[in-house]
Amino acid sequence: MAAEDFTALMPLIILAAAALVVLLQSAIKRSHGTALILTCLGLAAAFVSMFYAADELPRQVTALLIIDSYALFFTGLILFAAFAVAIFGYNYLNLYLENREEFYIVLLLASLGSSVLVSSNHFMSFFLGLEILTVSLYVMIGYMRKDHFSLEAGIKYLILAAASSAFLLFGMALLYAETGTMEFNGIANAIGGLVEVKGIYILAGTALFLVGAGFKLAVAPFHMWTPDVYEGAPAPVTAFVATVSKGAMAALLLRYFIAVDGFEYTTILLALSIIAVASMFLGNILALMQKNVKRILAYSSIAHLGYILVAFIAGGERAVEAVSLYLVVYFVTTLGAFGIISLLADQEGEKFMLESYRGMFWRRPWISLAFSGMLLSLAGVPLTAGFIGKFFVLLAGVGTALWTLVIILVITSAIGLYYYIKIIATMFSRVELEAEQKPGALPVAGSTVLAGLTILLLYFGIYPVHLIRLIRDMVLAIS
Amino acid sequence: MAIIFYISSAVAVLSTVMVITRMNAVHALLYLIVSLLSVAVIFFTLGAPFIGALEVIIYAGAIMVLFVFVMMMLNMGKKAAELESSWVNPRMYVGPAILAAILGIELVYMLASGSNRAAGFEMVGPKAVGIGLYSSYLVGLELAGMLLLAGLVGAFHLGRRDED
Repeated sequence: MAAEDFTALMPLIILAAAALVVLLQSAIKRSHGTALILTCLGLAAAFVSMFYAADELPRQVTALLIIDSYALFFTGLILFAAFAVAIFGYNYLNLYLENREEFYIVLLLASLGSSVLVSSNHFMSFFLGLEILTVSLYVMIGYMRKDHFSLEAGIKYLILAAASSAFLLFGMALLYAETGTMEFNGIANAIGGLVEVKGIYILAGTALFLVGAGFKLAVAPFHMWTPDVYEGAPAPVTAFVATVSKGAMAALLLRYFIAVDGFEYTTILLALSIIAVASMFLGNILALMQKNVKRILAYSSIAHLGYILVAFIAGGERAVEAVSLYLVVYFVTTLGAFGIISLLADQEGEKFMLESYRGMFWRRPWISLAFSGMLLSLAGVPLTAGFIGKFFVLLAGVGTALWTLVIILVITSAIGLYYYIKIIATMFSRVELEAEQKPGALPVAGSTVLAGLTILLLYFGIYPVHLIRLIRDMVLAIS
Repeated sequence: MAIIFYISSAVAVLSTVMVITRMNAVHALLYLIVSLLSVAVIFFTLGAPFIGALEVIIYAGAIMVLFVFVMMMLNMGKKAAELESSWVNPRMYVGPAILAAILGIELVYMLASGSNRAAGFEMVGPKAVGIGLYSSYLVGLELAGMLLLAGLVGAFHLGRRDED
């Protein structure tokens, strides 16, 4: 490997090194604050190193990884999300557990795994990145090991993720059997060279591949784990599962489909359309019946991935732009929503029942306003980032005349509005205030991150030009 | 020679089904060892003797022996001793033994006939594996290290015994 390869890989190397530094530091002397500071420094250093890596673009590092502006864009997004999760996690872990430092090690490793995912154009690095992410997630989801729900969620995720990995591996094996290569470009050449493109191996391989990817994305037939895992996992981890693990897989899927020109493949597109429709309907309708805010958000995230799939199916430049934009918006909003749940946790546990939010506005006005903003953005109301995201998804859908999907998207969004508004209405409903019911102050660092996320939400909603320009500059390179 | 591949594949599938249907953990482990051995034979037939050997040494050897030891040490005491003697009756080991014998016959046949690249692929020896791992797949090797680190930290945290 040449020196340029190391420069291009610098963000990944720094992430791995940061995990080792936190590990060694806590082996010498356990200190929660130091672990957090080292983690944030590591994430910041990785972020800064991206600007140096940007000089080498695009660079294929061995056969496994490609560092291009698309990979760097999503790596930046992952680092940003990991930073927010680390800060939210600090407040949360302070309340509950003795062993806190391990959380940051696995958080850094999970970010490394997802960064590898978005940079891979080879099945081997894809699978290794996915497994690093998944193994770290088992630990993070079950991190509250004295809490039965957390452990239950961890075991559920362990079994189902292992099964989905088996599907994915078998899919890769079939594709390899037919094409004789594991590089995305090589597969594209092999498929393009065949006269009979619709070979059964390719079809079955891609289908199994989609099962594995669909599990990570938590789209409709593969969504069963989502509510339980979201409910049981510690709130900061839920934020990570909902954003980073899904976002990284969506970015990889997009890269793969563009590389092999999967949008030409009508059978696969039909399957994806069915998945999208099922996700939008199931997610939004099942969310209506929930009384638990974490479960509502879990079902809503299933629906959101359905929306992303609509843009995905559109294919071409529009799809890349809309999916990336929607992912950024979804990251900001979901991190904010689960961040609020983790900030509101106290000694008695997380506040995830809808009832505990009743009249919250009159006790904690600022955080209630921020939560309302997040929920309105998830609903896609104008002036919030969610609206811009949904607008671009619709644009991509209309541009390729996917009328059925677009109409279903609009209908299900309208259904979705109801349960978001229900949470907001609960927060603003009048209750008799007891005099001594003075809520404690919220942690400073977490509140600052939350304020930042809320400002981003409004900024992207009101003036999205910068974001769109950034996406056009960085992401469209692959299409 | 393809027949050898199919026979060992059938043994792998059969023994794995037995692993997940056994109620007794030790019985299941015996079948799991056979399952790993059959995968090793498949590696031999595909022209990857080095990986096949590693499969035997690491999986069927080290890891499985560790499993069996832990399993037996967890059940200490008199009752466990009786239980253990009840495990060692011919009925329970005849199944794995037959399957292992099939694999053994295959191996002897392959060695005797001297053609151990059944599926028609080029043979990949230890040297080629080493050069591949430390040159073109170096990044993958490092990533696998990180994967193990994540598993290690997780096992430490989740399996830790409280001091109190």
